Amino acid sequence: MSLPDPILFAWWASSISAGSLFLAIVGIYLYATTRSRRRKSNQTTKNVGGLFKDFIFVWVLLGILVFYIITINIGSSLIFAAGNILVEALLIAYLLKNRKEESEER
Amino acid sequence: MPTGVYQTLGTSENGLSETEANRRLKVHGYNELPTHVFSKLQVLIRQFKNPIFAILIACAIIAGTYSEPTQSIIILSMIALSVILGFYNEYQAERIVENLRKNVSIKAVVTRDGKSSQIDSKLLVPGDLVSVYVGDIVPADMRIVKSKGLQVDEATFTGESFPVEKISDRLNLERPTPQQLTNYLFMGTVMIHGSGQGIVVSTGKKTELGAISKSLVRTHPETEFQKGIKSYGTMLVTLTIALTIGIFSINTAIGHPLIDSLLFSLAIAVGLVPELMPAIITISLARGASRMANAKVIVKRLVSIEDFGNMDVLCTDKTGTLTEGKIALHDSQSLGGETNDKILTCSLLCNSAAVGEKTVGNPMDTAIWEYAIKNDAQEDVKSYDKIDEIPFDYQRRIMSVVVRKNEEYILISKGAPESIFAKCGRADISGRTEPLSAVRKAINAKFFSLSELGYRILAVACRSVEVKNSYSVEDEADLTLLGFLIFTDPPKNDAHQAINRLKEMGVDVKILTGDNELVAKTVCEELKVPVKRIVCGADLMQMSFTEIKTVVEEATIFARITPEQKLDIMKALKANGHVVGFIGDGVNDAPALYEADVGLSVDTAVDVSKEAADIVLLEKDLLVLADGINEGRKIFGNTIKYILMGTSSNFGNMFSAAAASVFLPFLPMLPMQILFMNLLYDISNMALPTDNVDEEYVKKPKRFDIGFIRKYTLFFGPFSSLYDFLTYGIMLFIFGASTPALAPVFRSGWFVESFWTEVLVIFVIRTRRIPFFTSRPGKWLTLLTLSCVAFGTILPFTILGGFLGFAPLPPEYWVLLFLMVATYLFLVDAGKVFFYKICKF
Repeated sequence: MSLPDPILFAWWASSISAGSLFLAIVGIYLYATTRSRRRKSNQTTKNVGGLFKDFIFVWVLLGILVFYIITINIGSSLIFAAGNILVEALLIAYLLKNRKEESEER
Repeated sequence: MPTGVYQTLGTSENGLSETEANRRLKVHGYNELPTHVFSKLQVLIRQFKNPIFAILIACAIIAGTYSEPTQSIIILSMIALSVILGFYNEYQAERIVENLRKNVSIKAVVTRDGKSSQIDSKLLVPGDLVSVYVGDIVPADMRIVKSKGLQVDEATFTGESFPVEKISDRLNLERPTPQQLTNYLFMGTVMIHGSGQGIVVSTGKKTELGAISKSLVRTHPETEFQKGIKSYGTMLVTLTIALTIGIFSINTAIGHPLIDSLLFSLAIAVGLVPELMPAIITISLARGASRMANAKVIVKRLVSIEDFGNMDVLCTDKTGTLTEGKIALHDSQSLGGETNDKILTCSLLCNSAAVGEKTVGNPMDTAIWEYAIKNDAQEDVKSYDKIDEIPFDYQRRIMSVVVRKNEEYILISKGAPESIFAKCGRADISGRTEPLSAVRKAINAKFFSLSELGYRILAVACRSVEVKNSYSVEDEADLTLLGFLIFTDPPKNDAHQAINRLKEMGVDVKILTGDNELVAKTVCEELKVPVKRIVCGADLMQMSFTEIKTVVEEATIFARITPEQKLDIMKALKANGHVVGFIGDGVNDAPALYEADVGLSVDTAVDVSKEAADIVLLEKDLLVLADGINEGRKIFGNTIKYILMGTSSNFGNMFSAAAASVFLPFLPMLPMQILFMNLLYDISNMALPTDNVDEEYVKKPKRFDIGFIRKYTLFFGPFSSLYDFLTYGIMLFIFGASTPALAPVFRSGWFVESFWTEVLVIFVIRTRRIPFFTSRPGKWLTLLTLSCVAFGTILPFTILGGFLGFAPLPPEYWVLLFLMVATYLFLVDAGKVFFYKICKF
């Protein structure tokens, strides 16, 4: 295990962070435009807790990003693999919960 | 009667014999133009018209001249493979369409061996005696021998839309132009008034139309789907140009070799453009059309299928869709209410049906003859001689004949009751003649009560006329009303079920009928079709276009409307944002069929309607239509999947390649590797048209929403980029492939990951449900996708892989790849849940 080239690593970490942030911002933008449309038709009464819940996907995404940057910095494939399994478990839990809600709404 | 014409053209008043006709067919060939014929060469040439090939050929030349020749060979091989793929698929699609076209043939009434019969117009030969009627497309060039009020629209032939009168007289012209030949009918022109008979002079390519090679097909307005694809194309071109220029400039600025930078940016451009999209769409449409043909729905214009699926308003007539379409004469009644044989005889005389082995003509005239033959009531007709005829037209809604019995000349008129009433001065009440004004109320009451019972009514009137050479519309005046012809056309048993099914599918059915509102309302009530509002043609005439736009949203029935009003209704519905379908089978329906987003006709319709229609139903049945709509929605669904795939994963990959080229000391992937991945990706998508589509997707009509596609690209594109960056991290910092010497390992690692994510994501994107568990992909899609993934996986270990510049990957990589791609797919699925909560499609 050798330490990564700091300049290359900085470039890489900036790029992947920029990609994740872009994704998070797009998610927030899409959510905000829909919410303002719904507000106009009085369809929304969400509080801060509700907002946090709605954005859980974005929090998961940013969490994954941090995890990836740390593991790549460490350079351990074992930690990377184990972390991935954990992330998958989290995503499956998120999906199961939301699919259930979705089918109940239907 | 033109003398000598028969002799000159080698025929007689009895027409040719069947034997002679068959002999001439062998000599002159089929009477058809090569307008719809496609050749393998044409399909092949079309493959090279794709601008992507120009870019690829430029890449091959640049690579061959300035870089490695092997790179050039590989690019050229890929061009060849793409051409073969595109050619094979498009040729198959063309063949399907060609076979479907054969199901919709134009018929001609021909007299052979003294007997009239209907034959496929391609079997006509010079010398054949052909009868033509309103709505017919003239099937060959003909010398007119009989003409009655003949007017022809020669717009397809001369460009002049004003009707041209045609006669049967001999003309004394030296070197006449075709336009001067008023005693000729030319192939492709449309009969708009009157009737006539002609002798075929030339057929197929030897006709005037064949000589100038003009197509009979009028241009249809662009469909909603075509507009959507166009705006999608514009979006892609803008992105591609911006990204390509950006990549080239940045790569050159940071010191990468000029040629490498150029080739790399061009390869990115190729990677961004879904060059197989036209082929994928054509295959989807052709396969769908083939399946629809099994449901007796023949697609003439492939591109209309998607609008067919997305149609949310269907305008239909009543006869044959809501009713059985088997019009039968129920009774011929005097104004006193008794059955009256004189009215029946008059209607047999004033009749346009051709009676031969089989009675051919408009359904009501045919029904009168069938009733008379069944009741043996046609004998009286023989005591009359037919002198003249004033043909039916849609303005008057009346047909008249002048007949002679002994020395008396009688004009008989038959038509829509309101039109006949307006021409009458008297009425015959059980043998007593009374002024019409005195009995008008009672007659109206009788007409309304019969209409309310759902009967279709025609009125019959007559008067004695003086002897003249010729009679005209002006003679239809001061008639004596005799009584009514009462027709039945029972409602269809399954019409209620069909309308409900269409309603469930989000298609609103509107009835546009020439009948009066009472008949239409009664039929709807019998079928339990809710009627929101009835609007009559007379009401529409008083309205501005803005008012029509409001009324078309509210009304269910439009009664007694003119062809122009049908057109206005189409325009108003389209202006309100609907995708409109229109079913029509009459000569007056052609303009509305062109105007509608989807023009539908039936096989038994007049030629102009069939020619104007996008889709022809072999059975006039709304249930068949519902099946066709379902098929159209599936095709639309699979096309959208391809677009969403391309704009999300493909775009994401190319974007990350561009970004990586900035900070890496070498190109993240060689141009030929990008092109190869692109080709492999396209092959994996070939089975997409066969994929299953979720039930809920086809429940409601969809629109091509470029805004949605833009949001989708913005949201899902970065997912793929994110995992590409992650792979860079793994290759650079876990496997240490950060030097130019280890670039092949880096490229192999990224190629495999990029290809896996790019291709496998289809299983997530193709459905809103849980992939595989609640929505199974099509077996061919699964098989082809997994085969391509397998090929892409073993590629770095093969000779071809070495040739392309790849190197074998360490075993540890595969474990990480598997876990990483699994996380990616779960993350996209979670993103999908989030995305569809906020963006509806």
